[in-house]
Amino acid sequence: MSAEAPPPSVSSPPAAEVPPPVSNRRAQAVAFARAALAALLPRLRAAWSRRRVRVASAVLAVVALALAGTGWDFEPVPAGAAAPVVSKPASREASRLAAERERLQAALRRRVPRGPWIVIDQTHNRLRLMRGDETLLEAPCSAGSGMVLKEGAKGRVWVFDTPRGRFEVLSKTENPVWKKPDWAFVEEGEPIPKDPGDRIEYGSLGEYALYFGNGYMIHGTLYERLLGRPVSHGCIRLGREPLRSVYRSAPLGTPVYIY
Amino acid sequence: MRARLLSIALAAAAASAAAGPPPARSSDPAARALQREVAQMRRERELSAGKGFYLRLDAARQRLALMLQGVMLDDYGTSGLELGVPEVLFVDRRPRSDWDLESISMGSLEPERQRDRVEIIAPTPSSTEPAEGASPAPSPPPAPTPKSAEEAYSVPSPYRIVFGEGVSLEVRSRGEGRRNRTLLRRAVDAAGLRLSDLGSALGLGSQDRIRLRVTLEADDAASLYRSLPPDVGLIVAGLPPR
Repeated sequence: MSAEAPPPSVSSPPAAEVPPPVSNRRAQAVAFARAALAALLPRLRAAWSRRRVRVASAVLAVVALALAGTGWDFEPVPAGAAAPVVSKPASREASRLAAERERLQAALRRRVPRGPWIVIDQTHNRLRLMRGDETLLEAPCSAGSGMVLKEGAKGRVWVFDTPRGRFEVLSKTENPVWKKPDWAFVEEGEPIPKDPGDRIEYGSLGEYALYFGNGYMIHGTLYERLLGRPVSHGCIRLGREPLRSVYRSAPLGTPVYIY
Repeated sequence: MRARLLSIALAAAAASAAAGPPPARSSDPAARALQREVAQMRRERELSAGKGFYLRLDAARQRLALMLQGVMLDDYGTSGLELGVPEVLFVDRRPRSDWDLESISMGSLEPERQRDRVEIIAPTPSSTEPAEGASPAPSPPPAPTPKSAEEAYSVPSPYRIVFGEGVSLEVRSRGEGRRNRTLLRRAVDAAGLRLSDLGSALGLGSQDRIRLRVTLEADDAASLYRSLPPDVGLIVAGLPPR
């Protein structure tokens, strides 16, 4: 008899450390919830008459239904579901409209520059040189930092933003010279020079500059490692090689689109 | 008296001629389709003659492009274009069938894109040369490197471009992308948009009549949110005839 009895388990942990089985815990939770409900329900019954509960439930249901039925109703628009292209207009009116459509299409096509054009995404600091629909070059650039510079005494304020819109290349220069404006001295904490000659700085704009109005230009930089970040004072800084290509490809009058 | 009446009639006729042909609907279905197309192209020509940026949503080709003066600056592929109308107690308010031929302008982002500008107070300039033997004046600390667009702006999903004429464009994103937005902020956005939906459907606050919903790749949606110029216009092309 004693040989058939199971041997006592030596390695089993003490009974107190065994977590209760999941079903046990669930049962405990259910029991707790039941006890709580049993305690709460008589109080709820006392506070609310049956009629009140019904009215409140009905109001809640109506509000829920109203909320479910209020908002925005969306319908999918199938792709390629536009009106069919009318190739041979049947009526005189349709012929007139077809002719006008051709004219308008041609007018819209003429909006795209025939020669090269430049697009600058100042948010992502990318410059593209285009010809028609073709991208000739894409390169990182640096647009305006958006910083605000305040001059303590005189209270002048400068905002270093790159303007948005359509511009044109108005002039081009090799080995441009920077005539430093007031903010360049204010930023450095230097006195503003009285002699205009003291404003001249060589080499900081790189090999080329393409002016597109109001003192803004596309030029080179000494800080190529910062290309791709908005660090300029409003001009567009470009790396040496892309700048060379843009300078050679973009004649005067080339449109520059900045967004 | 007769001459005066005649001059008034002539002036009225001249004014109506200057205003362009009346938008009478043709009985010929082909002509009707052309009429819509031509009206839309006229709108596009008007927009391309202006100085403002505009979005061109091509429903047939499923493209959303940022345009300026007829030139496409950026272009995104869309999927799942939907057209929504406000609904109150399961009754929706249908717009006029030619709403897409009207001018749609002054679009702005909702939630708004916040730009934190770094402000620098210029150091006082040293007007005199430092005395011999004295230590030179300390140079101003270097300006902090501004954040890139990805670091600066977190992108909600969905977001809306709300136009002045009661039209809005809801942009949803597909996939993860680099939105740079915390879970809590996304939950607050979602609750805010649901409340705004209820309000606009009930005619409180914003007066949205039409909502277009497009889905873009997450990176495209983020790129559009970060770079959308202020006060954009909208042209919707290629909607099926109604």
